[in-house]
Amino acid sequence: MKNSLLDYILRVRFPVILFVVIASFTITYFASRTERDGIGYTPAQPINFSHKLHAGQMQIDCKYCHTGVEKSRHASVPSPSVCMNCHRVARKDKPEIIKLAKYYNDGTPILWKRIHKVPDFAYFNHSVHVNKGIDCKSCHGNVDQMDKIAQMNSFSMGACLDCHRNAHAKVPESTMLKNGPENCYACHR
Amino acid sequence: MSENKENISSPKDNTPDSNYWKSFKELYQNKSEIDNNASDSSSIDDLSSSGLSGMSRRKFFALIGASAALAGVGCSDYRDKGEIVPYNVKPEEITAGKENFYASTCDACTNSCGILIKTREGRPIKIDGNPDHPVNKGKICARGQANILNLYDPERLKEPLTGGSGFYSAVKWDKADKEIQALFAKANSSGKEIIFVTHTITSPSLKKVFDDFKEKYPTTKVYSYELFNSEVKNSAWLKCYGKGNFPLINWNKAKIILTLEGDILSSEGHKVETLRMFTEKRDVSKPKDYSRLYCVEGDMSVTGMNADYRLKLRPDAQFDFVMSLLNEIVIKKNISNSSVSSILSAKLNNYSLKSFAEKYGLSIKTLNFLIADLIKNQGRSIVYAGNSLSEETHIATNLLNEIISSEELYNKEKETLSLQKLSNIKELVELVWKMKSGKVGVLVHFDSNPVYHFPKNLEYESGLKNVETIISLVQLENESSLYAKYILPINHTFESWGDYKTRTGLISLQQPVIAPLYNTRQKEAIALNWLAQDAAKYQANFYYEYLRSRWEKEVFPVSLTQLDFKDFWNASLHDGIAYQKDESKIAFSFITASLADISSSPKKSEGFSLLLKESYALGDGRFSNNGWLQELPHPVSKIVWDNYAAISESSAKELNAKTNDLIEIEVNGQKCELPVLIQPGIAHNTIAVQLGYGRSKTGIIGVNVGHNANVLLSKEKNSSPWLYSNVKISKTGRTYKLISSQEANDFDNTLTKDAHIKREIIREGTVEEYKKNPAFLKEEKKEEKESIYKVHEYRDVKWGMSIDQNKCIGCGDCVAACNVENNIPVVGKDQVEKGRNMQWLRVDRYYAGTSEEPIVSHQPMLCQHCDKAPCEQVCPVAATTHSPDGLNQMVYNRCVGTRYCSNNCPYKVRRFNFFNFRDHFRNGIYESPVLSLLHNPEVTVRSRGVMEKCTFCIQRIMEAREEAIRNNVPLKGSDVKTACQESCNANAINFGDINDKESEFSEYRNHELGYYVLDDVNTRPNVTYIAKLRNISSEEK
Repeated sequence: MKNSLLDYILRVRFPVILFVVIASFTITYFASRTERDGIGYTPAQPINFSHKLHAGQMQIDCKYCHTGVEKSRHASVPSPSVCMNCHRVARKDKPEIIKLAKYYNDGTPILWKRIHKVPDFAYFNHSVHVNKGIDCKSCHGNVDQMDKIAQMNSFSMGACLDCHRNAHAKVPESTMLKNGPENCYACHR
Repeated sequence: MSENKENISSPKDNTPDSNYWKSFKELYQNKSEIDNNASDSSSIDDLSSSGLSGMSRRKFFALIGASAALAGVGCSDYRDKGEIVPYNVKPEEITAGKENFYASTCDACTNSCGILIKTREGRPIKIDGNPDHPVNKGKICARGQANILNLYDPERLKEPLTGGSGFYSAVKWDKADKEIQALFAKANSSGKEIIFVTHTITSPSLKKVFDDFKEKYPTTKVYSYELFNSEVKNSAWLKCYGKGNFPLINWNKAKIILTLEGDILSSEGHKVETLRMFTEKRDVSKPKDYSRLYCVEGDMSVTGMNADYRLKLRPDAQFDFVMSLLNEIVIKKNISNSSVSSILSAKLNNYSLKSFAEKYGLSIKTLNFLIADLIKNQGRSIVYAGNSLSEETHIATNLLNEIISSEELYNKEKETLSLQKLSNIKELVELVWKMKSGKVGVLVHFDSNPVYHFPKNLEYESGLKNVETIISLVQLENESSLYAKYILPINHTFESWGDYKTRTGLISLQQPVIAPLYNTRQKEAIALNWLAQDAAKYQANFYYEYLRSRWEKEVFPVSLTQLDFKDFWNASLHDGIAYQKDESKIAFSFITASLADISSSPKKSEGFSLLLKESYALGDGRFSNNGWLQELPHPVSKIVWDNYAAISESSAKELNAKTNDLIEIEVNGQKCELPVLIQPGIAHNTIAVQLGYGRSKTGIIGVNVGHNANVLLSKEKNSSPWLYSNVKISKTGRTYKLISSQEANDFDNTLTKDAHIKREIIREGTVEEYKKNPAFLKEEKKEEKESIYKVHEYRDVKWGMSIDQNKCIGCGDCVAACNVENNIPVVGKDQVEKGRNMQWLRVDRYYAGTSEEPIVSHQPMLCQHCDKAPCEQVCPVAATTHSPDGLNQMVYNRCVGTRYCSNNCPYKVRRFNFFNFRDHFRNGIYESPVLSLLHNPEVTVRSRGVMEKCTFCIQRIMEAREEAIRNNVPLKGSDVKTACQESCNANAINFGDINDKESEFSEYRNHELGYYVLDDVNTRPNVTYIAKLRNISSEEK
């Protein structure tokens, strides 16, 4: 029996197309996963601020600048006035500090590129996590070794729940920690 | 690719070329066409129609490669997440994500309640009462709550305007001020008057500004008015006692309260204070200390709704009623007071309670209870006559109070002060005469709207035409600003400085919590700048400096403080109040001569009597551009977005009118059309109408909403400005649809009649019953039913609410508070008609009995957070689930809008976003960017297609949890206060942890009178209602 055109389409063309589609979707899905989650996101910042220098070498505590982290939902990015506490004196001649001083003196706000973001409908609270003894590193990675700040972990709902369900495994340093809440209102309202 | 390029770059003659060809036609004739194609799409040549067929393997791979590269490039870039913009110099007091509170004073009415303004990152988002304020003690009314919407009203005037007859153009402040200064100087030098028309002056510093003004321009006169005031009552008091205003009453000491057309629980006096004091005597834990409220009224008011005994009586017969009562008490029962002279008996002889009761169909039994109670509780009972009654009624009431020794309930230390007497009608008539005869040079509408508020036959409007220059200081354009040459935009209260003195011993401060949103100035500063040498040198802190220096010179020396001025000022600013040494000058010895004028024979009251009332939500109409208030259902009728003529069923039958029929009301030649509402419980031949509607010029929200019944006001001498007799009514034959947020009660339908009692939605008892047997409600022990629903475990906190229906008066202030806290949209009248009201909390009102003598019950209804929640079972996407702390969770981003949950909810408390209501309502006026400043950042702003409902203020619960974790202490039930609880003037709402058996809340949760609504559907709610006890006489039944 002679193969008809339909036969050809069903037996050869269709499976091939299906295979190509599924394969390319699967590969793209997994290959782009880290990127979709934002892991490795390292945008250029208006000022080349180095966490490695400040938090790593200088050993400045995170809370010295991110003052809201124990009190509020937001860790808060320091205002230039906080930077100027030191830089009015320290390293005044460096080009990045000159840039900073210009922002400060002109009164123009610095538009820092945002690295970590949870969606608007998730009400993440920094103070609760920090006051429970969870280290900043658990989510933000080794910021003290980053010259340029980058995202290290996923901030998806799956990532949140992963920790909330296995607190011991995920945050071994805090022995008293119980599993976090898993109910909807814990984050969404 | 290169092959093809060669192909198309071949010579343009008809000679065959060496390349491939498919037909002779292509080879010889079609060259130019191919050339054209090629030049059009030289870069994507392999997609051209001719090229495709000739696609080689190489081209195919090139294409695949290119698309893979494209896909790769498309995916490889990270999603941009925007920016974080910190302050340049962070204000010390602000922590991003944390609220700040500032004490200030509310100016929504003349009561000057202390408020706490909650701001987030410098923008006000919620208003609540200031707990340190000695009068309102942490509570405010619906108008105070919703006032925040006026601040962010997108239609506020944004810059000064000049022009006239409808055409205005923007003008610079400096220019306008200089021109106005010249006008003042001209008017002053030519001997013409400068007139300021303002509302009640409650600010001593503002009064000083006016005094300064008068000093510089001696022809200045200040007229103040208020559409609803207590002037009649005050003048009666002055006649009877010689001094002061009508005193404050200690409602919390009263055992028997009789109100005569006096709506003490919603519109008269200091509502917030009255309500708190009144409900102190409605405490189920002290059943022996219950007060009894008798209410004699024509309209069905909030007070009448809550009365233990209610008698309906047309308002113009109140005087006869008081006299008959006096006759019964003084002559029949021979109770007298030495201060009352013998002329009294002559006055009273013609009155008889028995014949009065027969004439108006009052229950003799109830009247006997009333008289017995008044006599028995002398010194602990009070009779209160409403503001709208005539002066002689007030005099007679004062006398009655004198006889039953009510003065013991008067507050003798504190009184209400008025800084400047309101202008009476005679003065206003004179003003209009001056205007008409051209004696007025400049007239300033100082944040007032007399064109709308003054009686039409005062002819104020035509007077305005003869005034040389009119200046309007307004937030929103209004009826009066239409006549102005200069329209100057003023600050909202929250952008202004100020002080208020309305009570003895106390002065309150107002401070701005946000810089002016637009190019506006505060009204006091505008007036001050007119007095300045150079108007161009205006400074934003003008009035602040003025206020502060006045405080230093005048307030600080008489204040009760040990501090120096700077500390005193800062402390007062922090607290919002300062205490002062001044004593009440009120007198309490009755002047019998005042009785001389009162009439000694009963009056005839015929025809319809008309009662004009203040709108519960909108006040005198100043709040008509506030969507939240327009949509707040009237506490009794539940009508939204309208006023109406409320009449009884019997009157309606006589008129052959139905609800929604338009009728024409005629008083002294003034006519007004209004839709009829058949209101159960209203007296026969009585019409009650709310004013404050029918604005012809305001923002898009309030314009032409309802009908302007102000036209019925008259300048002619009348018993009182708000009460008219012999009113003519005619049907127009047209109809107008009134929309109520609750379905009309059908008294005749046997199926639905009293359904709320039969289904045990409302459970009630009497105080006597409770005293005898506290467990009377739970006599028949019900067994807990089996449930097929999943059992949840509640290990830690389990949230619950209790609503004490003894205290709840059904005012709906909680609804307003919930709206602000939870970003509830305004949907508009048409959507309420379709039942798409979005308020998470509603107050249900039920009638039992007959339409003529209804028994009213009301019940705040919100998500019951059932343990066995029917909604949770039917959601196909698990968007509504149960939390371990007993909450019924609603997750917006998961909801797909099937509405199954709402369908399965027995309480009908779920709300569906049929539209993005902010966008849908009034052409998206509430979608304006400025409104986003208003929203509570801790609550999601919901969009179209999702279900929503009460969350028990989850954002506040989470905040308390956060606080507990920070302090490393366990979370307690008392750490959380929901918005409705915080706002409840009566403290009827309690919230807490059901699992904490020691807490105060647990007493309510496990109260003998506690019950669940629709208990038989076995949903096991976490909201407990405390059954209402009516304090009816022990001799009854």
